[in-house]
Amino acid sequence: MSRWPQPALLVGRDLDVEVAGREGLTTIPAFVAAMVVLAGLGFGPGPEVLRATAAGVVWLVLLVTVVPLAQVLLAAERREDSWDLLRGLLSPTRLLLGKLSAAWLWLCVVWLVAELLSAALLGGLSPSVPLVAGGLLGTFGLATVTVGYGVFLSSGVSRSGLLAVLALPAGLPVLLAGVETSRPAAPNAWLGVLLVYDLVSVTACWAVFPVLVEE
Amino acid sequence: MPRRTDQILGVIASLAAAGTLPIALAVAPPDAVQGQAQRLMYVHVPAAWLAYLAFAAVLLCSIGYLLSRDLRWDRRAQAAAEIGVGMTALAIVLGSLWGRPVWGVWWVWDPRLVTTTVLLLVYVGYLGVRGLSADPHASARRTSAVGILAFVNIPIVHFSVVWWRTLHQPPTLLQPGGSHPIAPGMLAALLASLVTFTLAGIVVYRRRLRQLAARDALLRERFADSSTAATAQEPAPAVLVIPQVFR
Repeated sequence: MSRWPQPALLVGRDLDVEVAGREGLTTIPAFVAAMVVLAGLGFGPGPEVLRATAAGVVWLVLLVTVVPLAQVLLAAERREDSWDLLRGLLSPTRLLLGKLSAAWLWLCVVWLVAELLSAALLGGLSPSVPLVAGGLLGTFGLATVTVGYGVFLSSGVSRSGLLAVLALPAGLPVLLAGVETSRPAAPNAWLGVLLVYDLVSVTACWAVFPVLVEE
Repeated sequence: MPRRTDQILGVIASLAAAGTLPIALAVAPPDAVQGQAQRLMYVHVPAAWLAYLAFAAVLLCSIGYLLSRDLRWDRRAQAAAEIGVGMTALAIVLGSLWGRPVWGVWWVWDPRLVTTTVLLLVYVGYLGVRGLSADPHASARRTSAVGILAFVNIPIVHFSVVWWRTLHQPPTLLQPGGSHPIAPGMLAALLASLVTFTLAGIVVYRRRLRQLAARDALLRERFADSSTAATAQEPAPAVLVIPQVFR
């Protein structure tokens, strides 16, 4: 009997799968870099404009990354046809915790990469406690969106564009609040918004997750 | 679902519309600032009201399905969502038509406009989730989950945009806040329009429910015919057990 809880084992498994297959590593960082560079080209070249839009670019990149990440989320299980086995072994709550943790980890990495690229290419990064707190809370909220919609839409069925239609508007509060926590004079109210969003999202996702994984 | 009830409701809705039209076009005075363009409010506001009512119905019916696993709740949710999407699109278009002569622009980042547009996107996605699976119960489960997830997110979306607007621009005439006096004629026209749209929405909803029920009955018959023909031959594939769970 492993000493690690099942969700942690699931995260470890996802990391192993990623290291072996490099499905996310080959797509997501390139996607982030391309978006930041294209944003600079689209909004630039004036440094003032780029600095003003830097925070927005980071969170827009994060929000849009939800779409390819949700498709990567279960790609390995679908390919190996092991999704049913996983659903049989773990309870929906543990499955949600495991996938949520993995998605949150991914989005934290994306956030870090986007912030560093944005600082280097667009300027305007001001490291601060609200920035980091906003990053952690915001990525958690987006992770619940990723897992919630990704679970039943990442099965390779048609209408894959539906993921964008559903997930992107759902992440709108994170986009707004995340940008505001990135600004130098960030009011704590926006961290409160992120906290409320996270609590509501994870509760709603947990409530419907057994239904989503039911086949 | 008695047709006679629908007929009576239809007549009442028609009479309400016939009564509302002269009130909205003639009795209600034009706005002192916006002029005749303001009369679009008597269609725009009821359309938005009916949309919100429909989406609340989607939430309740989604919960109803998940608790009972009765496909009738799923049909109710579908009918409500279709009305909600149509009314939301109508509200947005009419809002733009109203805004152009009044504000001089087709669009402003008003919280209600943004929230309504997000609603449209989300529920278009909701309708798109339908039919992802051939199994009606699998489809109903997914759409019920989406219906619940979508609705719980809307208040947060709305208040996020309100605070965002407050942070970035001083309150304008567009911001909700404080009561603006409304002429009695305008109020009467608005209330009459709300009642008319609600009645018309109920009529359309009931007709659509009947269509969806007939469609499901036809599917049951087709599966029943297929399973009878296949009985003496090879074992029936799993998909043919679907009729057993129809109610």
